[in-house]
Amino acid sequence: MFGLGAIGFSAPWVLLGLVALPAIWWLVRLVPPAPRQTRFPALQLLLDIAQRQETPERTPWWLILLRLVLAALIVVGLAGPVLDPVRAGDGSGPLLLVVDDGWAAAPRWSQRIETLESRIAAAESADRPIRLLLTAPDGDDLPVAPPLLDRAELRGAIASLQPKPWAADRRAAIADLDLLAPDAVAETIWLADGLEDGAAADFARRLTRFGPVTRLDMAPGNAPFALGTPAPGDQGIEIEVARPIGDGARRLTLLARDENGRVLGRRTVDVGAEEPGRSTEIELPTALRNKVTRVDIAEEETAAAVRLLDGRWRRRAVGIAFEGGDEAVRPLISEAFYLERALAPFADVRRGPLSDLLQAPLSVILLPDVGQVPAALRPRLEDFIDKGGILLRFAGPRFAVSADDLLPVKIRLGDRALGGALSWTEPAAIAPFPPDSPFAGLVPSPDVRIRRQVLAEPAFDLDEKTWARLTDGTPLITGAPRGAGLIVLVHTSANNDWSDLALSGLFVDMLRRTVDLSDGEAAAAEEERGLPPLANLDGFGHLGGVRPGAGPITAGALAETTPGPRAPPGFYGDSAARRALNLAPPLDTLAPLPDMPGVAIELPETAPARPLGPWLLVAALLLVAVDLLVALRLSGRLVPTALGGLLLALALLPPQEAKAIDAADAAGTIHLAYVVTGDDPTDRMSEAGLRGLSTAITQRTAVEPGSPVGLDLETDELAFYPLIYWPMTEAYAPGPVAMGRIDSYLKSGGVVLFDTRDVTRGAGAVPGFGGTAGEALLRRTLAQLDVPALVPLPADHVLTKSFYLLQSFPGRYEGGPLWVEADASPENDGVSGYVIGGNDWAAAWAVDQRGHPLAALEPGGPRQREMALRFGVNLVLYALTGNYKADQVHVPALLERLGQ
Amino acid sequence: MVPVSPRQGVSALQGEALGAGLPPLLVEAERVAATVEQGVHGRRRVGAGDSFWQFRPYRPGDEIRDIDWRQSARSARVFVREREWEAAQTVFLWVDRSASMDYAGDRHLPTKGERAALLGLALASLLIRAGERVGLIDRDVIGHTGRAYLLTLAETLSRPSPPNASLPPAAELPRDGRAVIIGDLLRPEAELIRLVEGFAARGLRGHLLQVLDPSEIDFPFTGRNRFVGLEGEGHLLIGRAESLGDAYRERLAAHRDGLERLARRTGWTVIQHRTDHSPAPALLALFLALADLGQRSSGKR
Repeated sequence: MFGLGAIGFSAPWVLLGLVALPAIWWLVRLVPPAPRQTRFPALQLLLDIAQRQETPERTPWWLILLRLVLAALIVVGLAGPVLDPVRAGDGSGPLLLVVDDGWAAAPRWSQRIETLESRIAAAESADRPIRLLLTAPDGDDLPVAPPLLDRAELRGAIASLQPKPWAADRRAAIADLDLLAPDAVAETIWLADGLEDGAAADFARRLTRFGPVTRLDMAPGNAPFALGTPAPGDQGIEIEVARPIGDGARRLTLLARDENGRVLGRRTVDVGAEEPGRSTEIELPTALRNKVTRVDIAEEETAAAVRLLDGRWRRRAVGIAFEGGDEAVRPLISEAFYLERALAPFADVRRGPLSDLLQAPLSVILLPDVGQVPAALRPRLEDFIDKGGILLRFAGPRFAVSADDLLPVKIRLGDRALGGALSWTEPAAIAPFPPDSPFAGLVPSPDVRIRRQVLAEPAFDLDEKTWARLTDGTPLITGAPRGAGLIVLVHTSANNDWSDLALSGLFVDMLRRTVDLSDGEAAAAEEERGLPPLANLDGFGHLGGVRPGAGPITAGALAETTPGPRAPPGFYGDSAARRALNLAPPLDTLAPLPDMPGVAIELPETAPARPLGPWLLVAALLLVAVDLLVALRLSGRLVPTALGGLLLALALLPPQEAKAIDAADAAGTIHLAYVVTGDDPTDRMSEAGLRGLSTAITQRTAVEPGSPVGLDLETDELAFYPLIYWPMTEAYAPGPVAMGRIDSYLKSGGVVLFDTRDVTRGAGAVPGFGGTAGEALLRRTLAQLDVPALVPLPADHVLTKSFYLLQSFPGRYEGGPLWVEADASPENDGVSGYVIGGNDWAAAWAVDQRGHPLAALEPGGPRQREMALRFGVNLVLYALTGNYKADQVHVPALLERLGQ
Repeated sequence: MVPVSPRQGVSALQGEALGAGLPPLLVEAERVAATVEQGVHGRRRVGAGDSFWQFRPYRPGDEIRDIDWRQSARSARVFVREREWEAAQTVFLWVDRSASMDYAGDRHLPTKGERAALLGLALASLLIRAGERVGLIDRDVIGHTGRAYLLTLAETLSRPSPPNASLPPAAELPRDGRAVIIGDLLRPEAELIRLVEGFAARGLRGHLLQVLDPSEIDFPFTGRNRFVGLEGEGHLLIGRAESLGDAYRERLAAHRDGLERLARRTGWTVIQHRTDHSPAPALLALFLALADLGQRSSGKR
């Protein structure tokens, strides 16, 4: 490929056409643009002058330039210019391609491969043999020398390259390289993923021993993000994002998804330009939090940007040790009853004897009012706690007399009663929780009073073990870790014998906080069970099928397993009890590649090999258009006029929707109009209704209305329309401008039929003061208008006789009253501009294109439709003829006077 | 049926004219003539005629035969009988109908030819109402009276003239006649001088009415133009017409000056008219000039 700097040409011989440019220059200069032909009678006079003043005829220099540029653009465009082709490698000998295909390479993977492909094309055109080395392990532990690939193999290998959902292992790659003869590689191109794995510097040194090394990095701003381990927070899930290097501000969206991939929570994080990471919290209610099975970064498609959550994030199993007792007699005051009710919303509660509970895997075991744990069970219980379980004990009468020592604090035997007939003290309230308490943030209710409690022996560490205390300072709840677990003691009873605590909502919150501290089922999982792979993540963080090469992992080893070809990240186990293996690179070890002496670093071309030809040809076309305009202008055939400018402006402006008709048509023909409310069914019904009414009026009267017109009150001219139908809809609230227009329209003699369309829903009161939705709307609308006094339609109103003699005005519904102005102003010919009702007339008038009615009427029947149409005819004629028919009252008198 | 030119708006008068078989041009001319006539009051002045006008005291120099002896005998003074000027003049018209007159710079304006024909016809109408004789220079040897001649004239003027006849032929005309030449008068000065001096040499007086289109006067052209003559003068290519505007206007002024000088020398008058102006003032000026001429000539006599 022939090229000039960053631009190459696919058909360079076409550039020979540029030789023709001087000829074009000469021609264009010689042949000026065609002049305008002007007839001129006084030519003789002109000829006289022209002899004196001969102006040489020349094409203006800028026109010559324009045409030369045009010609050059065409020539260059046809020569197939390509921006920024990859310069062919100037080296020779075998080329080694090293591709980091670990998880960190997944962002912009296709761009990376494109970069690589252009390099390969360049190397192939130079006829260099190519070796390919992938640094991510593929499960084959034996070192293999990077093979020489022929073109077809290489194409196939490159096409099938995918990022792996685990990290690159450059140390293994060094072993692969060691198998190569020193002269097997002359030059290396290294497509790096930008992540240090501890051996990058060694790897680079090994590569430089073969020859020059070029490392292709991604542009800044592309450092991959990894997700930290989610932790339960106050409001949801706390999670950390991190990247190896702060290389630009990024905005990330963290998504918490459920089993089916639905997004339960969302959180946008802005990571500053210099920040390597940031911690945030996805706000989730507890109920939703338990459903989350996956947290990912929407912008990052890598395996490390996905966190799969397993059963540990689900509802915890909580066991209430309960031996029976008097519950059968008094079920509603037993401790187990209160606890179960309080725990049920967020935990799986099991009740049973302690021995049974210790068999099943539980997160928390509750011991209400148990003084002495049976000695036979005690080792197992201790073991449970040591492995991460929580033991939550409650005081009580039995506990008070004989407490054992499986407690966070030492307890004084006997209980302390607060208040009562023989005591000076009052029942105590709960003091605000200290900030380091697990209950920090909860607000103790002042109504909750503690009447009895057990007291802790004073000890130097009592204070730090106290999670909650009474207003007098005595501990109410104490907790202390033991092994991996916790022992928590509530110094009062779990029922309402000793306190109101069990009756309050605070009790539920406190229990939830306590249970949330537990480590889930982990403690009780079977360590040795082999978990088969269930579903694995691919390199882009998509959960798919089981990856080839994935093997089972024992449950106990899961925590220590580093994801790799044998154990790709994903879910293991079966669908009922599955465990997640996350890629989870330790966030604090994420680091960028170190400096490598002897390695040339190149950023990839942002837009490799972009053909410019089409753009140049388009530019040439535009210039042709400009040239045409110039030629027309020069020859005088194109005169810049205001009209032309207007047309140009109109052509550039987006075409407006033509809804209302133009003024001439509107004024020439009568059109019925309706208010476009924006509610599509309503507007269609209005249109169909007025169309039906127009047809009826055309058939029956001398009025021949045109097609109905939808009006936008904000913009359209209203003055052309004698009658406007306004259906009230909830969503439509015209602005003050529109209301001002409709007000002046009404005052200047227009008629508006306000239709609340809700007469069946109990309307019928004074308009604007009823209670229905439509009435409320009407009230809202009329409040902005200057409404005169309204009356129900008088029996002798002109509207009752303007065409038909009517006494009822049904629409879709029947019986709603019709309101008009009490005494319409004389300047409007006594016509009431306001006609207000709720019978939904448009629906009764509405017909489809064939003339069939569209809506069913209530109660129904052809007569009702006919009467509705008659009302419409009367209304239109009323709007058109005003009080003309009022004179009809004089007809009998006139006839009598005429002697008939 | 007379063809109605689209340039002339359809008016009620035109409708009547069609019904009466009158050329619309004539109707328009009559209308213009009527407006002008209201501003002209007949020839109430002393002149050669038969009807009595007034007595006035004798002054030295009056001819003896003019003394009204009967009137003089009634008093001690001698009176002269004066008669009203009644001599019918013959006005010979020339209306340029050559190709160069078929030009209007703006489609809202009438062509120069239409305007010239209108003025000629209106003048003829005025003159005939005033009892004068009217004829065409190249067609009539003697003048015609009577309104019927107007129809003939209108018909003649609506026909194209022989090609390239911008100026009238140097016809033999009666010495007492007046010549009125209506046209754009854009021929070379020498040609005009030859014509006018030829007429003047035969004692003929006359009037030149130069009808020009506004674009010929103002030269509003810009840009690259190929100006094409209407009478086969060829064409002229000009790169920037606006650069020529001043020179052209000077040249036109010089041409008009030449006309004025020629008129002064020969006792003719020149009246300028633009087609975007109303025809009435030009017509009035022309008519008054004719009247002045008559007075002046009769006074000399």
